[in-house]
Amino acid sequence: MQNSSRLALYHLWVAFALFLPAIALGAWQMLMRSPLPAPFDDTNAYYTSVTLHGTVMAYAVTTFFAMGFGYAVTATSLGRPLRGVVPAWIGFAICLIGTVMAAVIVLLGRATVLYTFYPPLIASPWYYFGALLLIGGSMIWVVLMIYNMSTWKRDNPGQPVPLAMFAITATAILWAWAASGTIIELLFILIPQALGITTQIDVGLGRTLFSVTLHSIVYFWLMPAYIAFYTLAPQAAGGRLYSDTAGRLTFIMLLVFSVPVGLHHMFADPEIGAGFKFLQSFLTFFVALPTLLTVFSICASMEIGGRARGGRGLFGWLWALPWQEPMVLAVAFSLVMLGLGGFGGFINMSYAMNNMIHNTAWVTAHFHLIWGGATVIMYFAIAYEMWPRITGKPLRSKALARWQLWLWFAGMLIVTIPWHITGVMGQPRRVAAFDYNDPFVAPMGPLVIISVIGGLILLVSAILLITILVRSQLSERRLSEPLRYALAVNPPRTVPPSLNGFALWNAILLVLMVFAYGYPIGQFLFLKSTVPPYEVTPQAVSAEIK
Amino acid sequence: MAAREQGSLRTHSPWPMIGWGTAAGIIIVAGVLGFGFLDRYQQGGPTLSLWNAICHGLGITADTGPASEPQPPLQTPTRIAWTGATLTQISNGNAQHGAFVAANCTACHGDQGKSQSALYPTLAGMDAAVIYKQLDDFRSSHRSWGAMNAIGQALSLQDSADVAAYFATQRGGLPTLTGNRVPEPGRSLRESDPAKRLIFAGDPERGIPPCSACHGPGGYKLGAPALQGQQPNYIDEQLIAFAQGMRQNDIFEQMRIIARGLTPDEMHAVAVFYGVRAGEPRAGGLALR
Repeated sequence: MQNSSRLALYHLWVAFALFLPAIALGAWQMLMRSPLPAPFDDTNAYYTSVTLHGTVMAYAVTTFFAMGFGYAVTATSLGRPLRGVVPAWIGFAICLIGTVMAAVIVLLGRATVLYTFYPPLIASPWYYFGALLLIGGSMIWVVLMIYNMSTWKRDNPGQPVPLAMFAITATAILWAWAASGTIIELLFILIPQALGITTQIDVGLGRTLFSVTLHSIVYFWLMPAYIAFYTLAPQAAGGRLYSDTAGRLTFIMLLVFSVPVGLHHMFADPEIGAGFKFLQSFLTFFVALPTLLTVFSICASMEIGGRARGGRGLFGWLWALPWQEPMVLAVAFSLVMLGLGGFGGFINMSYAMNNMIHNTAWVTAHFHLIWGGATVIMYFAIAYEMWPRITGKPLRSKALARWQLWLWFAGMLIVTIPWHITGVMGQPRRVAAFDYNDPFVAPMGPLVIISVIGGLILLVSAILLITILVRSQLSERRLSEPLRYALAVNPPRTVPPSLNGFALWNAILLVLMVFAYGYPIGQFLFLKSTVPPYEVTPQAVSAEIK
Repeated sequence: MAAREQGSLRTHSPWPMIGWGTAAGIIIVAGVLGFGFLDRYQQGGPTLSLWNAICHGLGITADTGPASEPQPPLQTPTRIAWTGATLTQISNGNAQHGAFVAANCTACHGDQGKSQSALYPTLAGMDAAVIYKQLDDFRSSHRSWGAMNAIGQALSLQDSADVAAYFATQRGGLPTLTGNRVPEPGRSLRESDPAKRLIFAGDPERGIPPCSACHGPGGYKLGAPALQGQQPNYIDEQLIAFAQGMRQNDIFEQMRIIARGLTPDEMHAVAVFYGVRAGEPRAGGLALR
């Protein structure tokens, strides 16, 4: 096994090993919220569980997956070994230590902060150190991606960077931008507070800094899925990528438009003026552009594949696609869930409509469709595509993999459709128990029970995923064809430097950030126009008496 | 040839223009709409001048900044606010001097603050911030109870911080509260024991939050005392006093609101549930950590 392959395999295994127990927690949380009896019914256990489920899924699984995928893409798309294998392993170790640290502290009941970095909720400092290590370790990966792309460009002057490498570097740069808010918040607000160095906390500043991370992190999760859309799916469908330039533009737009938009999570926060809330709401609309461009390009690429396989007529190409390929099936499921979740997202981010569903189960439904649905199902497909290449052993089996994808798709819809409805009915998210005798809450009961069933289906699907990966890993070694990325219809021979690097786009993003966040953050530092600082003491005062 | 093509592309690349133009366009349109239009014309509100609209968009409104008119004196339930200075004074309390002050408390509150009488609360192990606040409430007559008002007035703020520190460090009374806890089954609305359900899950229909969220076990709120091991009769009496409005020193009235929603039987059941001595096992009851 090549060293970069082993690196990728370890990262992906950690991601999936964390994924399974987190799914079990999610299923239990649904049971806890439902009218059905739940084992271990402690309302506080629910909040501990939400914290662990969210921390693992949102921060650990995604980061490990993106890192592993990034290393694999670097080695395969550039066609040469990864540079910086030793720092990569160091980064892996740091991330793993951080994850274990955070998870243990949550399990001890000392960090029930609902996986947010929203003060005044304060966790044990060890939770924040764990998070800092996880983010810090992943920054080694960010540097390695940029380093590998720039050394390749230096060694191949004038050549277009392969789309997959270009895209994973965009992902890395986006993650650096996204993480900046939380890193600053951790270092200067949360950790000093959790350690007891400061007694006062500026809630508005903390929340605004976290909002820098809040939305862009979602695109960090999503981008590996988009990379698979552009570079793996057309190949699996037996076709070609419709346009290489569309791909580059998509990743550039995702980078530029997904960071200066985080305030749309804070429409109900009083510290931010209405003008900036609108400005960022307006900017958020532009995130739809790369997604629409992607949907168009991928459908076009699929059509090319379908027609190449003999499909005729307006929709005949659809039936001609190789649906037995997990990648093709996953792309279809993913686009459906992306569409549904995306339209829900439009309501979340619209300044006026947000009030209807702010902090309700609707929001949870939205991001479970986008991340738990559209993104994760592509993670599965990527794993099925990568596993034989990394381990040199065939996938066992494709039929089982199709079952797994179908169950995941069905389960996720059964979970999230009732959530959308109860959200509109006013059911809050992140609440452990509901009194279903209350006439206002009672009609939600049957819907919540339906989503419990969906949760169980998702659990079965996750167990199936691990079964497939373990079975494949344990099977006999056999030659498999090397990973090949989709060729564009018109493969680029040269591309303008602006579409072959990120200097211009980072500069534009910086200017957008100054406009979108300069005043909202600056006001706390200079004008002191914030609400009075909020006193938080995480433990009894007596504990400090010597 | 290829190099020349590339060179010409580099000079005529439209992307920087497109990128900067789009970014500038978005910022201008969003800025004009957000600051010039949206804030000016509000449904049901007055149309603002452009300057006021921009200020509104920035989050600067007329009520930001110091109030210009004198405010009428507020009817506050207490004089204590949890500012950094107050918390520092409490945590710097001198327990040694506190022990000297506490000699005056023994007659009623028992040796080392472990009350032997159903009339008086146990002080041993009570959070220092709680004792400090109650002493000041007695001092300022926001809470009234016999001798305590005179005692409160006799003590300086530093004395109360010291005596609070002394009692807080005494073991064998109330447990120290923390927000950390290991989950246990039977702590939700599905619990059949009504007292246990009230303590751990509350009663949402009546708007009653769980007692344990502030008073433990497994919950902590600055200024709220631990109740495990407190004299049950004392808890019962205080709940009645809150319900009848005899005691009014709870900030935000939360205890008066909660106590008004409880039946006398429930008050008693909660008091008995909490009133078990810390460390004593109790069949089917509170597991103590």
